[in-house]
Amino acid sequence: MKKIYIQEEYCIGCRLCEIYCQVQHSKSKKIIKAFKEEITDILPRVLVEEIGYNSFAIQCRHCTDAPCVEACISGAMKKNKNTGVVTCDEDRCVGCWSCIMVCPYGVIKRDLSSRRIASKCDLCVDEDIPVCVKNCPNEALKFIEKDENKENLVRIKNGNQK
Amino acid sequence: MVTKNNLKRTNEMIDYIIIGNSAAGLAAAEGIRELDKRGKVMILSEEDFLNYSKPLITYLLEGVVSLDKIYFKDKKFYRDNNIDIKLNTRVKSIDIDKMFAISTDSNEYKFRKLLIASGGRPIIPEVKVVYENTYDGSQSENDKNIEGIFTLTTLKDSINIKTYIEKNKIKKVSILGGGLIGLKSAEAFLGIGMSINIIELADRILAATFDRQASGIIEKRIKSKGSNIYKNNTIEEIYVTDGKISGYRLKNGRKIECRLLIVAIGVIPNINFINSGALKINRGVVVDDYMRTSAKNIYAAGDVAEGLDILLGENRNIAIWPLAVRQGVVSGINMAGGNKKYNGGFFMNSVEILQIPTISMGLTNIVEERGKNIEVLKDFNPKKNTYKKVVIRDNRVIGVIMVGNIERAGIYAGLIRNEIDISSVKDNISREDFGIINLPVNYKKHLVIGEGIEV
Repeated sequence: MKKIYIQEEYCIGCRLCEIYCQVQHSKSKKIIKAFKEEITDILPRVLVEEIGYNSFAIQCRHCTDAPCVEACISGAMKKNKNTGVVTCDEDRCVGCWSCIMVCPYGVIKRDLSSRRIASKCDLCVDEDIPVCVKNCPNEALKFIEKDENKENLVRIKNGNQK
Repeated sequence: MVTKNNLKRTNEMIDYIIIGNSAAGLAAAEGIRELDKRGKVMILSEEDFLNYSKPLITYLLEGVVSLDKIYFKDKKFYRDNNIDIKLNTRVKSIDIDKMFAISTDSNEYKFRKLLIASGGRPIIPEVKVVYENTYDGSQSENDKNIEGIFTLTTLKDSINIKTYIEKNKIKKVSILGGGLIGLKSAEAFLGIGMSINIIELADRILAATFDRQASGIIEKRIKSKGSNIYKNNTIEEIYVTDGKISGYRLKNGRKIECRLLIVAIGVIPNINFINSGALKINRGVVVDDYMRTSAKNIYAAGDVAEGLDILLGENRNIAIWPLAVRQGVVSGINMAGGNKKYNGGFFMNSVEILQIPTISMGLTNIVEERGKNIEVLKDFNPKKNTYKKVVIRDNRVIGVIMVGNIERAGIYAGLIRNEIDISSVKDNISREDFGIINLPVNYKKHLVIGEGIEV
């Protein structure tokens, strides 16, 4: 499957990924409207970590053996058998935080904006490329498919897979 | 369809019989189906429901989840996986030599491979009962059926309690036991605005993984809302009026009125149907790294089993959902001829009390261990009411408590599971904002760059 890979050395800590993620998961999906009216409610599902000049953006890794899926008590957290994308069905989530307890990347958050639910990267399934990748000014995030040997990278240019 | 009578002595051989229809049992069925699409799989369940998530029963009580959403596998699961499910079928005994199970309604189920995933059952303490005011005099002391006393380990319990609360307009509940189930119940009752009394034998709630400080934060919060916690205490006498509980007396002499009592002092592996000596049993059914019991072709998984605790280096019963699922998958795959190892686990728990989330995992109360270097790092922020404790043994994290702020708790779970040497980052490890960027450099690379980078 295509996943987001982190190019740590290129991240400049601008946090545009966080901003575009918030917009993407807003109701209006419009940046001005989202920030003026909604943003206090919307958690970014990508997280920029930074110490000095060191920074990187990290979001759900959509693990092969996803611990969050295994730990989920409500059946909300699921890995799609065809796409490999791990998503949280917000209707079924009860906010028990078992996923937060087991995710070794720490990329699932508590969303308390309406009722308690787990918030995580959905890989922008409706988009060709996740918005965090698309809007990264320095290619610090890549959306690519790595083969079994984890060697050959299928490169993405201008949004088209070659 | 065959009639019940005809079923009595069926000679049909079932390839895989699974006793138990919960986390481990269903994960096992899926595990079997990964390798064997055609073999006959039958699940025997003593309950009256298709699958439901046991940990959700307190959320049902709270109204966070409704009955139609308590199923964690959808209803097509059995059909899609070609599984024969027998509800209301309690196993009375198993014959490990002739390889069949007998149900309480005397049906015989022959198997090639058996999985025992029968879970746990609640411990019921012996308590003196005093009958007061019984108007018709018919109630004898032997009548154990006292209204208003419940355990809470099954969906039926949860539904019964909910109905009882509504019918009797109950506003206050007493919970005997401040452990895992007690606290999850408390979460639910407090969530719907009831007040609670917790009675706990130890000197703190969640004694298995909380320390006094963590417990103190939660106790303070619970008390601030008009509820109470009685520690170092237990119920010595229960008062019954007109067949219903009306109160109890604590060990310290205090009498408390009570119309609803939840008994939550713990669960024990459900092994009644296993003849003594038939299988190696400690507290639960002892299994090896492949979830095999001491008898050929018989496996065990989930709350009934004793799998490897990686922190103790020995087998013990850790009755939590994620491990039940993992053990189930492993046993299923191995029953179907695979060769998958169970890598062990450790205890963990998440409970949120009155908007204070908590997560605890591993060994959190160790102060010293012979021949080992134990370090305990704490970060308490009284302003934010947050507390974090990290227990380190020979430079490896072995236990964590987080109260108030549980952000990124799983990073610690990863450190524990992967036995990462954290000596280079010890200064930061109990920080509130500890993240991946603070991790030892090789492990950080492993996480950031992706799968395939060896630590």
